Amino acid sequence: MVLEATMICIDNSEWMRNGDYAPSRFQAQADAINLICGAKTQSNPENTVGVLTMAGKGVRVLVTPTSDLGKILACMHGLEIGGEMNLAAGIQVAQLALKHRQNKKQQQRIIVFAGRCAVIACSPVTHDKKALEMIGKKLKKNSVALDIVNFGEDDEGKTEKLEALLAAVNNNDTSHIVHVPAGPNALSDVLISTPIFTGDGEGGSGFAASAAAASAGGVSGFEFGVDPNLDPELALALRVSMEEERARQEAAAKKAAEEASKQEKGGEEQDATMTERASEGTSEADNKKNEIADDDNTLLQQALAMSMDEPTSSQDLQDTEMSDAAAEDPELALALQLSVQDSTKDSSSQADMSTLLADQSFVSSILASLPGVDPNDPSVKEVLASMQNQSEPQQKQGEDKAPKKEEEK
Amino acid sequence: MSAAESATAIQKNQVDLLDFIDWSGVECLNQSSTHSLSNALKQGYREDEGLNLESDADEQLLIYIPFTQVIKLHSIVVMGSEEEGPKTVKLFANREHMGFSNVNDFPPSDTAVLSPDNIKGKPVVLKYVKFQNVRSLTIFIEDNQSSSEITKVQKIALYGSTVETTDMKGLKKIEDH
Repeated sequence: MVLEATMICIDNSEWMRNGDYAPSRFQAQADAINLICGAKTQSNPENTVGVLTMAGKGVRVLVTPTSDLGKILACMHGLEIGGEMNLAAGIQVAQLALKHRQNKKQQQRIIVFAGRCAVIACSPVTHDKKALEMIGKKLKKNSVALDIVNFGEDDEGKTEKLEALLAAVNNNDTSHIVHVPAGPNALSDVLISTPIFTGDGEGGSGFAASAAAASAGGVSGFEFGVDPNLDPELALALRVSMEEERARQEAAAKKAAEEASKQEKGGEEQDATMTERASEGTSEADNKKNEIADDDNTLLQQALAMSMDEPTSSQDLQDTEMSDAAAEDPELALALQLSVQDSTKDSSSQADMSTLLADQSFVSSILASLPGVDPNDPSVKEVLASMQNQSEPQQKQGEDKAPKKEEEK
Repeated sequence: MSAAESATAIQKNQVDLLDFIDWSGVECLNQSSTHSLSNALKQGYREDEGLNLESDADEQLLIYIPFTQVIKLHSIVVMGSEEEGPKTVKLFANREHMGFSNVNDFPPSDTAVLSPDNIKGKPVVLKYVKFQNVRSLTIFIEDNQSSSEITKVQKIALYGSTVETTDMKGLKKIEDH
């Protein structure tokens, strides 16, 4: 929000007819200037902006520093291209215009668009550099900041001269130079990300963001092509749905990976409430496997291999088990209903859940209904046991029931 | 005789005008960002010989000091080093927002060429009649003692007296009986 008076120096020389910046160099310049004016006036309502042209018959001030955006935009119309740009004279006139600004409290800034720079036509580089350095020193002495937009071709050591000028002016990083190469990106788009727009790290970025969305029209730097400033609700909704989709995809991918690698463990869970247990289950399954390998218990390995070979057949059995259990146990049916309900309720419902979990038969029947899960797998049982750490006796009960189940099978 | 008089005058009725400087409006053109005007003006900083006000691009400095009330300026003290301390100092009373370009357009209210004595701390007595009604003071340091690239000023002190003006803070509402 720095209070600033800015003079913009336009290059309207013959070389601006070139089309290497779409649609033409001059149009690109005009767009960039419109954006800058808007950004400056938005960042602080008391800021003033003025415009002058450097080529043509001579340096001409189109509008003296004013905060009226309409006036500035109007004077950009009907500008003629011709002649050669005179950088030194342009900067000096800009400095004079700033000196006579109405509000003396404003900081002074000059923004120069250097398309094709001939300081003193057909002079060697050293002479120009000296002259530019003198100008730069004078600007620094009068605490005027300078921003240079270097575009177009780089002949006669233009870049070198401009860098020398910047070095002479720069006081504490208030002055900047931006080199914009020709290409598909519009001049204004490139400028938006530069300190020229963002005003030394604060201020105009909000405006610049919305301007980017408006001018780029679809090809914007934002996610989802929607600007948060223009439509925050839509942007938020899009972002949330994207995240949900991502989470869903991750879960699906995870499931696929785990199904492929750990089908023999039967540790795959679909239900949201069971996901934590699933991750625990798989990690414990890994440990279990290691233990088994270490123990070199071949019999157990064979048993596991057998269960891996017949996942489909056991599923049917488990499904029938489940329906029988539901029919037999209305309490179980009720418990199932509760578990399906909103899990984000109060702790009272949580307590209900935990008591339900404590019921080993209920849990094992739930697990049985899930595809690819073998409730008789000792690793799964261990997981369940660890989940019920609120009630140790329940654990023991679980362990008692485990051998029972194995007997059943 | 006159020198002795002026010396005693400083002790008698002239005060250090540091308290009447309006700090929000103080400006200095062409100062180096690391060595700023406060090093020369502020209490404590100005006594420290290591802290100087330094010029940046060239040897000139333009200092603008507004005051909170109208003052009469009697004398100034400008201290610096023997080589890089200021030499020619021009003072302008009541000129706002001057720049280096128009500093030579007006005749100064007074000009002081600082001798080595002055640079050590001897006050320079000014043309009192020119500084009877001062709201703001512009100090233009044109060159330094050895014409080097950078001018270094260790201390700037202003001595004078205030004109009787109403202190608005002291005004109290009269109680209705």
